Amino acid sequence: MTATPLRLAFVSPRFPVGATVGGAETLLAALARRAALLGHQVDFLTTCARDHFTWKNEHPAGERAIDGMTVRFFPVDEDRDLHSFAKAQSMISSGADVPQDVQRAWLSNGINSRAMTVWLARNASGLDRVITGPYLFGLTCAAAAVVPDKTLLLPCLHDEAFAYLSCFREMFSSVRGCIFNSEPERDLAVSLHSLPAERLFVVGMGLDPFESDPAAFGRSRGIPAPYIFYAGRREPLKGTPLLVDYFAAFKARTGSPLRLVLAGAGSVERPRSFADHVLDVGFLGEQEKRDAMAGALVFAHPSVNESLSIVLLESWLAGAPALVHACGRVLVHQCRRSNGGLWFRNYPEFEEALLLLEKNPGLRDALGKAGRGMVEKEYSWQAVDEKLGAALAC
Amino acid sequence: MADNDIFRIGAGDLDAEAIVRGIREKVKAKREQGLYADSSLARAERYNLDNLDDDEDFLDFYLEALRECATVDISDFPIVERRKGLGLLLKPVKKAIWGLLRFYTYRLWSQQNEVNGLLLSAIEASERRRREQARRLESRIAALEGIGKE
Repeated sequence: MTATPLRLAFVSPRFPVGATVGGAETLLAALARRAALLGHQVDFLTTCARDHFTWKNEHPAGERAIDGMTVRFFPVDEDRDLHSFAKAQSMISSGADVPQDVQRAWLSNGINSRAMTVWLARNASGLDRVITGPYLFGLTCAAAAVVPDKTLLLPCLHDEAFAYLSCFREMFSSVRGCIFNSEPERDLAVSLHSLPAERLFVVGMGLDPFESDPAAFGRSRGIPAPYIFYAGRREPLKGTPLLVDYFAAFKARTGSPLRLVLAGAGSVERPRSFADHVLDVGFLGEQEKRDAMAGALVFAHPSVNESLSIVLLESWLAGAPALVHACGRVLVHQCRRSNGGLWFRNYPEFEEALLLLEKNPGLRDALGKAGRGMVEKEYSWQAVDEKLGAALAC
Repeated sequence: MADNDIFRIGAGDLDAEAIVRGIREKVKAKREQGLYADSSLARAERYNLDNLDDDEDFLDFYLEALRECATVDISDFPIVERRKGLGLLLKPVKKAIWGLLRFYTYRLWSQQNEVNGLLLSAIEASERRRREQARRLESRIAALEGIGKE
């Protein structure tokens, strides 16, 4: 229990009710649960949407008591002009200089909930802090604009075209403080928006240790050889097509018996010559995912746009060494400070790193143990509680 | 550098940075021996171009890989038929078809090879020019900064 219980409102586009949501939403929900556990009074404001493609209102609007919090579901505004949104999004993605009115059109036709903003405005005086994120949503900007002097932004910032928009510079500058997942994410925000250090906090997310059986996944799925494991969305932004291409080249050049196992949502285009060696296992339950991580030769994460990567931390807890893309600043930072993984810039480095790991079980164990040690120290809930407490007290 | 040497760097006091450095040295040596001059690598690296578009070393490697696959193999190839029975009759038919089409195939693909080669040379020349321009501008800026400091 904290010395001074606060009244907090967490704002997130979705809340995980019986389904998987994005990493940023998972993080907000985890921090909110933790804050409630520590004795704070927590309202979790979210939308009725379940699917991040359709944003259809699927959950019933209203409030529910979940894990010691009051979770309030508000409908997503249905009067979005998708054409204007797509046009503005394409202009922003191209890296062009985007006028203010186009930025406003993009935000207002993105994901918003007027009902939620109204609730927040009516209850703002009774709240001590509003914690909102990720930065890319109109919903987040709207929430931050209601009570900026009480708002802590949890941006989950990436180095992408959207991050450079002036509307976000205004949001970052107006809020009371920012909560980051890692030092490289904080440094990126400082370089983009020149923010004062005393308002910036690196918090991250706590993970509870778990037991896993390294042999269980291979046994139950009938996987005969060692495998590389990836879990997460399978899409170009996450680097999975690159991983599949690299794996096919690796198989062709080295004749290795390795398999590639891909878990999560999205489609996988399997190379014709090695279709049987690329296994799409779709969604896995938590325990099966942990067993799959524990049994993997290496956990591969080829994404270059991550602000934390919960799944990488989980794989370290399961004892797997990591192999990440050198352009993923946060992932490389995590590998460097933990000594829990290696990184590659291009195919030759990927090939050499994988051959090295394949031939050296001792090295794999040492990397996995080092990664686990770092997660247990830096990402225990006790460590995160302290950092979150400092952010809330700012 | 042998695998064991790289591993030894990390054996006493595990240092991922040193292991990655060792890997890069090994890659450099193997690249000088032409061990990555492989046409399949151009395809494998197609998604990496966005990540490393400001990395001159990567672009050099990518262009080397492209050079390996720019020329389509249009040489004659052995015609085989593994099926028995009527399959045996197929072999001379296939040979006859290839004999008829060879001229047109050569004509088509030799033009394609020429286009591929010309395009690649143009990209390489353009890249050389861009680098030269960048170097000139950098040295000019350095010289101007030197004058400013005086």
